[in-house]
Amino acid sequence: MKNLFRGKANLVVVISVAVAVLFAALLYSQSDRFKPGIKIGVLHSLSGTMAMSEAPLVDALRLAVEEANQSGGVNGAQIEMIVADCRSDAVYCAQQAEKLITLDHVQALFGCWTSDCRKAVKLVVEKHHHLLFYPVQYEGLEESPDIIYTGAVPNQQIIPAVMWAMQNKRKRFYLLGSDYVFPHTANLIARDILRINGGSVLAERYLPLGEKNFAAVASEIARLKPDVVLNTLNGDSNNHFFSALHETGITAENVPVISTSIAEVELAAMGASMPAGNYAVWSYFQSIDSAENKAFVARFKKRFGQDRVLDDPMEASYIGVNMWVNAVREAGTTDLSLVKTLLSQQSIPAPEGIVSVDFSNNHLWKTVRIGKARTDGQFDVVWQFGRAVRPAPFPYYHSRMEWNVMLKSGIQQPGAVVQP
Amino acid sequence: MTFTSLTRRLLVWFVLVGLLPLVLLGYLTLRYNEQSLRVSTLQNIEQLADKKAQQIKGYIVERIADARLIARSTVTKDAIAQLSHSYQSSHPGTPEYRQADARYRSYFARYTDEATMFYDVFLLNLQGDIVYSQKHESDFATNLLAGPYRDSGLAEAFRESSMTLESVASDFEYYQPSKAMAAFVAAPVIREGKLLGVIAFQLYGTEIYQVAADPIGMGETGETVLAKWVDQQHVMIITPLKGKFESTLQPVELGKIPNPMRRALSGIRGNGIETDYRNQQVISAWRYLPELRWGMVVKMDADEAFASLHQQRVFSLTALLLAMLFAAVAAFYFGRKLVVPLQELASGAEDVAQGNLARRVNEQGADEIGLLGRAFNHMAENLQALYRTLEDRVERRTQELNITNERLREEIVEHERMDKAVRLENNFRKEMINSLPGIFYMLDTSGRFLIWNRNLESVLHCSSEEIARSHPLEFFAGTDRVLIEENIRKGFEVGETFVEAVLVARNGTKTPYFFTGRRIDRNGEPVLVGLGMDIAERKQEEQELRVASIAFETHEAIMITGPDDRIMRVNKAFERITGYGADEVIGHTPHLLSSGKHDPTFYEEMWQQITGTGQWEGEIWDRRKNGEIYPKWLTVTTVRDADKRVSHYVGVFSDISQRKLAEEEIYSLAYYDTLTKLPNRRLLQDRFGLALAASERSGSYGVVLFLDLDKFKTLNDTLGHGYGDLLLIEVAARIKSCVREMDTVARMGGDEFVVLIEEVSSDAEEASQKVAHIAEKIRSALAQPYFLDGHEQHSSPSIGVCLYRGRAVSVESLLKHADMAMYQAKESGRNTVCFFDPVMQQAVEGRAALEADLRRAVSLQQLHMYYQIQLDNEHRPLGAEALLRWIHPVRGMVSPAQFIPLAEESMLIIEIGRWVLESACRQLKLWEQHERTCDLTIAVNVSAQQFAMPDFVGQVAAVLRKHRVDPARLKLELTESVVLDDVQGTVEIMHALKGLGVGLSMDDFGTGYSSLSYLKLLPLDQLKIDQSFVRDITSDPNDAILVQTIIDMARNFRLNVIAEGVETEAQLAFLKEHGCMAYQGYLFSKPVPLEEFEALLGGL
Repeated sequence: MKNLFRGKANLVVVISVAVAVLFAALLYSQSDRFKPGIKIGVLHSLSGTMAMSEAPLVDALRLAVEEANQSGGVNGAQIEMIVADCRSDAVYCAQQAEKLITLDHVQALFGCWTSDCRKAVKLVVEKHHHLLFYPVQYEGLEESPDIIYTGAVPNQQIIPAVMWAMQNKRKRFYLLGSDYVFPHTANLIARDILRINGGSVLAERYLPLGEKNFAAVASEIARLKPDVVLNTLNGDSNNHFFSALHETGITAENVPVISTSIAEVELAAMGASMPAGNYAVWSYFQSIDSAENKAFVARFKKRFGQDRVLDDPMEASYIGVNMWVNAVREAGTTDLSLVKTLLSQQSIPAPEGIVSVDFSNNHLWKTVRIGKARTDGQFDVVWQFGRAVRPAPFPYYHSRMEWNVMLKSGIQQPGAVVQP
Repeated sequence: MTFTSLTRRLLVWFVLVGLLPLVLLGYLTLRYNEQSLRVSTLQNIEQLADKKAQQIKGYIVERIADARLIARSTVTKDAIAQLSHSYQSSHPGTPEYRQADARYRSYFARYTDEATMFYDVFLLNLQGDIVYSQKHESDFATNLLAGPYRDSGLAEAFRESSMTLESVASDFEYYQPSKAMAAFVAAPVIREGKLLGVIAFQLYGTEIYQVAADPIGMGETGETVLAKWVDQQHVMIITPLKGKFESTLQPVELGKIPNPMRRALSGIRGNGIETDYRNQQVISAWRYLPELRWGMVVKMDADEAFASLHQQRVFSLTALLLAMLFAAVAAFYFGRKLVVPLQELASGAEDVAQGNLARRVNEQGADEIGLLGRAFNHMAENLQALYRTLEDRVERRTQELNITNERLREEIVEHERMDKAVRLENNFRKEMINSLPGIFYMLDTSGRFLIWNRNLESVLHCSSEEIARSHPLEFFAGTDRVLIEENIRKGFEVGETFVEAVLVARNGTKTPYFFTGRRIDRNGEPVLVGLGMDIAERKQEEQELRVASIAFETHEAIMITGPDDRIMRVNKAFERITGYGADEVIGHTPHLLSSGKHDPTFYEEMWQQITGTGQWEGEIWDRRKNGEIYPKWLTVTTVRDADKRVSHYVGVFSDISQRKLAEEEIYSLAYYDTLTKLPNRRLLQDRFGLALAASERSGSYGVVLFLDLDKFKTLNDTLGHGYGDLLLIEVAARIKSCVREMDTVARMGGDEFVVLIEEVSSDAEEASQKVAHIAEKIRSALAQPYFLDGHEQHSSPSIGVCLYRGRAVSVESLLKHADMAMYQAKESGRNTVCFFDPVMQQAVEGRAALEADLRRAVSLQQLHMYYQIQLDNEHRPLGAEALLRWIHPVRGMVSPAQFIPLAEESMLIIEIGRWVLESACRQLKLWEQHERTCDLTIAVNVSAQQFAMPDFVGQVAAVLRKHRVDPARLKLELTESVVLDDVQGTVEIMHALKGLGVGLSMDDFGTGYSSLSYLKLLPLDQLKIDQSFVRDITSDPNDAILVQTIIDMARNFRLNVIAEGVETEAQLAFLKEHGCMAYQGYLFSKPVPLEEFEALLGGL
């Protein structure tokens, strides 16, 4: 064999061939790096009244995107996240959606918090047959082939909350909410549920978003002595409401408050003024004791800081990206119709437990939990369903047609602001 | 030694050259085949898994829908109410319960017979008691929250269903009472807005097992495995396993479950090649089924899937081995053939070397070895001859050398003299050459430097010794080297040459040079002489020019003009954007491009800035060659020469029409309706706000019109949305044609439009007149027929008008007022114009408040039943008409005339009507138990809406059944309006009601337009003479005759007759005389509450 490599010339040829082969292999293995990224759009308010709630969602999305990129991206490309600030303005947000779709050519949108925002963006998304992931619990009565709803619908939040209270012998309700679509519809459903089960509504009050004066509400609660208050207030009004209750001397023991729209993030931002012993209804609490969740919390804190907290809408945002990544990887392409078909069959082990897309309505099977507030801004889970609950955007006790008639006749539109 | 090494080398080369590519090719083909087979097999198994998952999901969803449907049926509602009641009041063993149970047993049997899906049906009351079971297994009459089966799937389904008020399905689990695997679907039963309990169905697993066992597309080893969690550490396989039958339905530790199933159970979806429970490689896909909380794995042995691959591998390997064997044999054979003659040659050569010059070798054969043999022999012969002649020559040479030696010594002296003259001449030439600018050289044909000047040494950084040793090509690199080599050759061949090349000095400095070369004759030998000039500076200039011309061709258009503003040069982008070719514009001024959209001052200002600052930048509208006007972003820069005089202007621009379009699109999306291109609600509100402010300043009146198309919804539903959209577009155009350009026409959504007209007049009277005129114009324009899509279509608007002045009333309120006026227009018969009137607002608000109260009235028990007695000729009580009264805590008694029309409009009448029917039947049941009241009838009024409900007959039947009252004692009173809308349908329903045994009465007879022909068709029992006729029978002869006629007619049709509103004895006497049979009125009693009515009976 020695004869083969005799002479300097032979050695040079052999070495240069070897170097060329190595170089080609190196180029080939690095070719993925030079692929253009796949873009996704994020529509959340980073300024205005909703920024407190929405800004952390962008971090949850970012975590999911970074994790996907670290595990190889999708289809050999890295995911690029384009964040648009919706400025707490639904119409502006819809314009941003239009821009992300037509000018930036994003493959999916993640965003919106309020129902107004969702309804505005829905028009744009449906016009382009595009794809939106909506991460917040809402009033239901909606379904779109182009939206994946990763938050809870009434039968996964409002209805079990009311039923739970009634099973605990609390039948006289005081309904309090901010004056917009979600609280009105939630209370419409709550009233139906109470009627169905023989409970009663002592009063139903709506105050404008951002209202600070709750003295009248608190004194009315003190006078009426309801068994429980169902609170659908949104944003920092909650802070003022709980302060007013405290000043009036109402405690969680005699009149507990069940809230649907405040979670750990809001509590942390408000300085944990929600008195311990009150309740919140969500699918996810940061305190959930599972290996999945502990790892999730640890990853998030490592990335964004030990003092940060997680809550339900953040987890729902995180789920959305993961589902999208799974579907796109499985499709092997970003073709929207194929991705949507695969999305309707996804399930993943999420921090809250296994979640699956219901193939008939694009909402998620979710776990229902009731948490009792602690003094440190976290919740103890006091009750939960043994299994994920099937999403029913149109509650059972009316037919789909009846709901549509009610929607058209405008029952759930915000009416005049009612103050006691 | 040589022998073996040559053979070995041949062997190695054979293997390397012949076999290595073969092996490589074989390997690559196999690998590619394996990969594509792998991908297609995985895809196949994925599709199978999705299909099966979909089938199982579909099965469960259908059962959930079944449960929901059955839970809504009246029978189910009645059953659960009655059985719960019987169960609670008496134990299941008692006859009362058994009677109730028996009534429904046959009904529910339909859901459990062979053909259906269900094994058992359960009714559960609110406390979780199983109050009814079709199969009567040990679960019957136990409690699901506290009893022995509180952890069963049935209990789980009950809890979830009653907690979320949804129709749900439980997991499949072993169900002890049935001693089998079972799942349950459950649905809440709600009646009249109250939860009665839950109906549940027990499911067989058969359907799901069938899906799992379906072998289609799975090959021989294919298998579908389903499994569920037992607890957090244990899992149970539900389907029988082919390879491990005994583990089915046994709890297995999670650690012993293969990967695919573990992933499926933790909610992950995927596929791959994995190891299964038999330690076999399998192709598998795993899915999570949320409906059952099961994991599903569909798999197939890799051996089977890849069987063809295995065959291919064996085949390739065999072929390879054969080829290798063949190569080895061939190499050995050829090696031998080559080596044996060589060995002989070698030994022959060795002999010759030793001095044996007579040695010869075998020289047979025509090949190279034969040649070699012959040459060897020839050489040996020559060697022998040479050896002989050599010795003779040596002797002769020695003599010749002595003579030559003497002659040489003389020549040397002569030479020394001539050398000195030559040296002087040489020095002079050297000086001359050194004084030449640039390089001088002289080369011989082999390329050696013969003569050169000092410049060459300094340029090359070489000493003269080094140059003498060097070849010119060493000072050039790359293609230049080839070029120089060629030119040297050319110089020698042609006689003259020129070339440019980069000279590389010893120290690496590179300098471009221009070389000349000319062939001359030197001492009879051709040599090449020439000069080299440094052209570095010239090169630099050339380079800069090239860069400039490339930069000129960018995607932005560039136009260069002279100081006289005439175009000198343009680039390709300019031609593309403007559409003009370069030859068409050069020599013209840029004015050629202008669109005419900008006035002269615009250009003046632009030039002012250019002359002032030397630069201008901005958006400008120009015209393309094809006439199209487009926006561009233009930058103009002045170029000055060394004397600061303007030499050129450079204009750079890009086409920004695309960007403009996108901006406009986004703007119009937000402010304009996409269908009609009219302003939307948002823009209207903006403009309206401005209009109010303007009106406050000017003090003049403006007006807002609210328009709505009559019966647009019907049109949309019957002809489709596409057609409706066409109509809306046409309507928008017509409205716009009726108003001024400055007025705003907006679409509020659906078929609603708003017209905002400003500055109508400062006088209120004049303003209303003008507005009335405009509104009428719009109304008549919209009422003209439409020709759309080949159809003629009629439509008309209802228009509400509201005047405004100043900012006293908000935009929202004004729109609301106009909206109200529009509704007023609708109510007054459509296709009209109506002005807003504050009284109208009060009425609307008052009615809205009343309606809101009415909505709550039923649940707050504010509605009450009053009874007015009906008597026969002998003043014996026949029964009563049930009349509805609403006693409001604040409003007091609200007149039925006030709230009934309201209830009819809002469809509340259906709920109220049902309540009345229920109350009447409940009352009849109570009366049944007393002798005095057991024959009384109750007449109930039925509204048109109630009557038009799809299942009105079913509802009446259900109520009758529920209260178990004699149907004949219930009388339904219909008004003529019920009948008039749809005679055919009404007659059918009336027959159906008649079939139930219910009595039918025609209320208010004579007031409507009933004709005799109707009367003949309708299966009535009774006519009721309206009180308006009765009131005047004694005073008005016309009414007297009319009543007489009604009574006669009724007799002819064999109907009985009742008169209402009898107030005086005189009226009674008249009616009696003319054959009336029954009476009702204040003469006997007004409508009274139940207690008073019962007291009245006692008094009679």
